[in-house]
Amino acid sequence: MTILVILGVIALIVVLMYNSLIAKKNQVENIFGGVDAVLKKRYDLIPNLVASVSRYMEHEKSILEKVTELRAEANKPNLSDKEKIDLDTKITSALGSIMVAVENYPDLKANENVMNLQHNLTEIESQISAARRAYNQAVTDYNNAVEMFPTNYMASYMSLSKKDVFIISEDERKNVNVREMFNA
Amino acid sequence: MKSISHLTDFYYNTLYPTLTELEKERTDLKNKIIKISIVLFLIIFALFYVITNGLKEINIDLILIFLFGAAAIGGFIYNLMIKDYATSFKTRVIEPLIKEIDANLRYNPMYKVEEHIFVNSKLFTSNIDRYNGNDYVTGQIDSVDITFSDVHAEKKHKDSKGRTTWSTIFKGLFIVTSFNKHFSNSTIILPDSAETLFGSLIGSWLQSNNFGRDQLIKMDDPEFEKEFVVYGNDQIESRYILTHSMMQRILELKKKTGQKVYISFVDGQMYLAIEYNKDLFEPSVFRSLLEYQVAMEYVKTLQLTIAIVEELKLNQKLWSKQ
Repeated sequence: MTILVILGVIALIVVLMYNSLIAKKNQVENIFGGVDAVLKKRYDLIPNLVASVSRYMEHEKSILEKVTELRAEANKPNLSDKEKIDLDTKITSALGSIMVAVENYPDLKANENVMNLQHNLTEIESQISAARRAYNQAVTDYNNAVEMFPTNYMASYMSLSKKDVFIISEDERKNVNVREMFNA
Repeated sequence: MKSISHLTDFYYNTLYPTLTELEKERTDLKNKIIKISIVLFLIIFALFYVITNGLKEINIDLILIFLFGAAAIGGFIYNLMIKDYATSFKTRVIEPLIKEIDANLRYNPMYKVEEHIFVNSKLFTSNIDRYNGNDYVTGQIDSVDITFSDVHAEKKHKDSKGRTTWSTIFKGLFIVTSFNKHFSNSTIILPDSAETLFGSLIGSWLQSNNFGRDQLIKMDDPEFEKEFVVYGNDQIESRYILTHSMMQRILELKKKTGQKVYISFVDGQMYLAIEYNKDLFEPSVFRSLLEYQVAMEYVKTLQLTIAIVEELKLNQKLWSKQ
C-alpha cells in the first residue's frame, strides 16, 4: 500500500514537472509568434523607406543597400529563431544609422512621407521592444526550468535545451522620447 | 500645469476674503456644535441615570447600547448641521481652486464616477453592495480626457448571528483618463502585497496562482516588480503600455502620493485608484481653513491628481493616435 502511494506521488510529480516544462516551452513559442509579427511589420516598411530616402542620401548608399539585403534575408522561409534574432539586431542598428543620417538632410526631414515613415517606425520600434521584453521573460522562465534542479533532469530527458534571449541595448531601455525626436 | 506654490498663493490671496467669511461661519458653527453636544450629553446621561435606577444597575451591555446610540445620534446631528457649511465651502473654495488649475474643468460636489465605470476598471474583483462618492471633476487637460471623484465601495457581510457589517473594498480617489496608445487587451497593476508579505519566492508563486485574475506578467524592472504586481491577457501588449519609463513614472507617482496606487488599462482607458482611506475635500469644523496644513491638503491633492496627465506623460501624442 505504502509503495503504491509513493509511486503515485512520484508519478504525479513527474507529470507536473513535464507539464510545466511544456507550458514554458509553448509560452516561448507563442510569444515568439508575436515578436515575429511585429518584426514583419517593420520589414514591410523598409522598401518604402529606402525608396523615399535614396534620392537624397548619396553618401549613405551602402547602408541602404545593406538594409535591403538584410530584409531579403529576413524574408527567407525556414529561418531558425536564433537567426531571426540575429537579423533583427542587425536591422535595428542599420535602421538606427539611417535615422541618424536623415538628420543631416533638412529637405528629407521636412518631407511628409519621410516624417510619416519615421513616426510609423518609432511606433513599431516600441512594439518590437515590448515583444522582445516579453520574449526574454518567457525565455528566462524557460531557461530557469531547464537549468534548475529538479526540472533539469526532466528537461535533459526531454532533450530541451537553453534558448537565446534578445540583447536589449541601454539606449532602448531609456525609451524613445518622441517629442525630442520630432522637435529637434 | 499650475504649480503647488502658485495654487497656495491663489488660496491665501484671491480666496482670502471668502476664507475669512467662511471662517466666521465655521467658528459660529463650532460653538453651536459644542453647545448642542453638551445638551445632548446631559440628556443622554439623565436618561441613563433614570434607566439604571440612579447608576445602581449598571451593566456592560447597557453602557455599550448608550455609547453606540449617542454616537449615532451625535453623528447624525453633526452631519445635518455641517451640511450647509460643507456645501458653501465646496462651491466657494474647492470649485475656484479647480477652475484655477484649469478653467475648462467642471466640478460637481454631489456627483460621482458611476459604479459601472468603477467595475469596468477590473481593479477590484469583489462584488460591490454599497457604492458612494462625491466631488466629481471632469474635463480635458492638454487634450487628455480626465474624470475623477471620491469613491467609497463597500461589501456587505452577514455573520452567524445575522448581524450585518460592511467592509471597505476601496476608499479614495478614482480617476479615469484617456490613454495615448492603442490597446485591445487589459492590463491590471496592483500593489504587491504577496511579495512584501511572503518574500519573493512564495510571493511570486501565490501571484501566479491568483484565481480570478489573468496571467501574471513579470516586469523587467526590479524596483517596479517589488512594489507592484501586473496581470494581463497579452504579455506583449502589457509591456507595450508599461515601457521602462512608464514604470519609473508610476513609481514616482506612488512616492508622491504616499498611498496605495492601483492602475488598469481597459478598453482604451486608463483607470487609477489612489487609496486615501478618507473622504477628501471635506471641510473640518474643528480646524481653521487658514491653517497651512489644512490648505495644503486641498491644494496638494487636487494639483497632484490633475497633474497625473503630465506626470505619466499622457499628453505626449503618439503618431498612431493623432
